[in-house]
Amino acid sequence: MPNRCPYLDYRRETGGRSFEAARPYCTAAETFVQPMRADICVGRYGLDHAADCEIYLAHEGERDADYADDSDGGDGE
Amino acid sequence: MSYDDYLDGKPAVVTAALTGGVQGKEAHPNLPETPAEIAAAAATCEAAGASIVHLHARRESGERAFSTERFQEVTDAVRDATDDIVIQHSTGGTGAPDELRAEPLRTDPAPEMASLDMGPLNRYDRLTSENTRATVRMLHNEMRERGIKPELEVFNDGHLNESLAIVDELDSPPYFNLIFGPGTLSVPHPRSLQTMVSHLPEDAEFNVLGFGRHQLPLTTMGMLLGGHVRVGLEDNIYYRKGELAESNAQFVERAVRIAGELGRPIATPAQAREILGL
Repeated sequence: MPNRCPYLDYRRETGGRSFEAARPYCTAAETFVQPMRADICVGRYGLDHAADCEIYLAHEGERDADYADDSDGGDGE
Repeated sequence: MSYDDYLDGKPAVVTAALTGGVQGKEAHPNLPETPAEIAAAAATCEAAGASIVHLHARRESGERAFSTERFQEVTDAVRDATDDIVIQHSTGGTGAPDELRAEPLRTDPAPEMASLDMGPLNRYDRLTSENTRATVRMLHNEMRERGIKPELEVFNDGHLNESLAIVDELDSPPYFNLIFGPGTLSVPHPRSLQTMVSHLPEDAEFNVLGFGRHQLPLTTMGMLLGGHVRVGLEDNIYYRKGELAESNAQFVERAVRIAGELGRPIATPAQAREILGL
């Protein structure tokens, strides 16, 4: 998949956390990836990690690492 | 849909939003993702007093799924696990193309309700949920064709304008979900809720959804204003500051307790159908 982020991995466990099915994992941020961000990592729906992912851009040195995690809220959709 | 409704003890409808599409088990270990997990959560929420369950679907990996097939698995599991709960499917899908957004409407049977996002909102740094008028119209038309009641998702004042512009096209009562939180959502403050409610048509019913720490105070205020409430791990993973919630049902139980203290009975699914004109 040409648009797949090079930092994307699929893992069942890391750092004491484990899951039954392999989940998207960002090796740049060293954390499992939230579902909507995973669409960017994989390049679904025309999304592109090189343009749309602030984590990728920060780790490529193309912008400051100030990406925020909308943690306590969901999507409301 | 007013303070008089509160004084009159009108039943409050509790919606449980179990899963969502933004966060998963990486954020909360008990957030349900598989059809079996979502069904089990729906059953416990129904037992706790929820009369509507708002559903999203996921892949096995926890990633988002929009296909009719995956929604069918989820909704079948929920119907098997619950007695009478009203099923509401999400049609939200930031970044997803329109043809996928309609797929959750095409299960057999159709959901009794579905969410209808009324305009754009931002996600992260570079992602926008566009929800153009054409997208809204397409989804709304399919809902009408299939007899699905739309819940108008009002993420901010502009979306309320958009909703009021099509209110004549809606079966009575129109049902608004007023959403408060960060970013492109309405400013999460009691003043905002009061103002939004003051602009609603007289025959409207409304629900209050507050993200994160705003869920408890704003849903409580919504009950006082005669509205209904939505709670659950989709919108808020913390029960109180620094403490993850145990489950979706824990939020429903709290909403039911608060309603009881305020003198509002909780709507059964049958009462919810009557109130919302399903």
